[in-house]
Order: sequence, then C-alpha cells, then structure tokens
Amino acid sequence: MSTDKPHKKRDIFIDGPIDPAFVAESIAKHATRTDIGGHEIFLGQVRADMAGGTGGGSSARTTAIDYTAYRDMANEQMTPIREEAFARWPITCLHVYHSQGVIKAGELCFFVFASAAHRQAAREAVAYVTDEVKKRLPIFGKEIIADGGHQWKSNT
Amino acid sequence: MEVKLFGMIAEKAGAETIAVAAGTVRELRQAAEARIDGLAAMSYAIAVDRRIADDALKLDGNEEVALLPPFAGG
Repeated sequence: MSTDKPHKKRDIFIDGPIDPAFVAESIAKHATRTDIGGHEIFLGQVRADMAGGTGGGSSARTTAIDYTAYRDMANEQMTPIREEAFARWPITCLHVYHSQGVIKAGELCFFVFASAAHRQAAREAVAYVTDEVKKRLPIFGKEIIADGGHQWKSNT
Repeated sequence: MEVKLFGMIAEKAGAETIAVAAGTVRELRQAAEARIDGLAAMSYAIAVDRRIADDALKLDGNEEVALLPPFAGG
C-alpha cells in the first residue's frame, strides 16, 4: 500500500531502464486508495538527439545515455523536494524513480507519479517535482553517440 | 582528504577519487584545479556532506567531499 509520508527516505534509483510494466504495477497498487480521484504521471524517455547540437560537426545521433549519480546525496536531496510538494499541494502520495546505467534511446529513464483527490494538485505537484529533480539532484548523463564518441549532458 | 569525482570530472581526472589537503572549500577548489587538467575552465559545484557548499566553508578533514559537474537528470 502506498501511504508515503513526506519525510520518508528511500532510494529513487533503478538499475537500467524503467519497465512500462513497473509503471502499470505502480498505478495498480493505488486501487485500494479510494480517497484518490486522479493520478498524474511524467515519464522521461531517452531521445535520439543529433550529437553536438546546432552547429556541431557531427551528424551522428545519441544512441543511449549512461546515467551515474552521487546516489547518497541525490536520495538526501529528494527529501526536501518531497516535503515541498506535500506542503504546497494536497497530494496523497508521490513516487519518484530515476534510472542508473545505460538507457537506450526510446527507453524510459525517469518516472514521477503523484496522486490526489483532484487533478489540479497532482498535475502541479508532478510538474514541480520533475523540474526540481532535474535542477537539484546530482545525476550525470554521458550521451553515447552512434559514431563511437560521447558527450556530457547538462540541464543548465 | 579524499574527494569524490563524478561524470565529466572523473573522466578528466581518470579517477573516481583524488586526495587533497584543504582547510576551506576555496583551498579544496584550488587544489583540485591544480590536479585536474581542464577543471578550472569547467562549471562545477562542490558538495560537503552531501550539500552544495560555499567557498568560505571551513573543512576539518572529516567531511564527505565531492566535485559535481552540471546535473543532467531526467
């Protein structure tokens, strides 16, 4: 049963891609929570960008991102983000997962899931938590390029 | 003290950790930049005990210290 408290500390990291079946199971686990009226989900998927961005010399695409993290710090930094979300919106639960390791283009790497009595709270909480995780958690991404090279992803 | 390295910084250093002596975060920054080619030109943060720290923060050598390149989650 999901009865997450804002202070609950947990490991957000999953080794490898996030299985769509895991997303489905996560939704199914909330069937007993009849106080919930809406779920909101954000799923991040690895995109096959052109390497080097605009003006880059390469014409090869990103084939995967190899994610690493300062795992202890990331999990600790998740606690205040979770507390902020519960303080600002009347959500019943919040789940966040991020991949570690090599995630191929087309696979899921990031899963943010909030539930609430009404849709607005769940929507706004997911948007906030998604942005804050990207800004505040020490997660690093090495973009593997089809020509054999790599470059480092940056959210800033 | 042992300094944890991540992402592009670990790649530049060719190591997951380096050992430096420093009494403040500023000294740590200077020592790390002297040790790792290209670090001075990079944008990075220093974490002390898993929080982003200012240069003025004093270190007693028992902290958990890390150099963090730009974040890329999501």
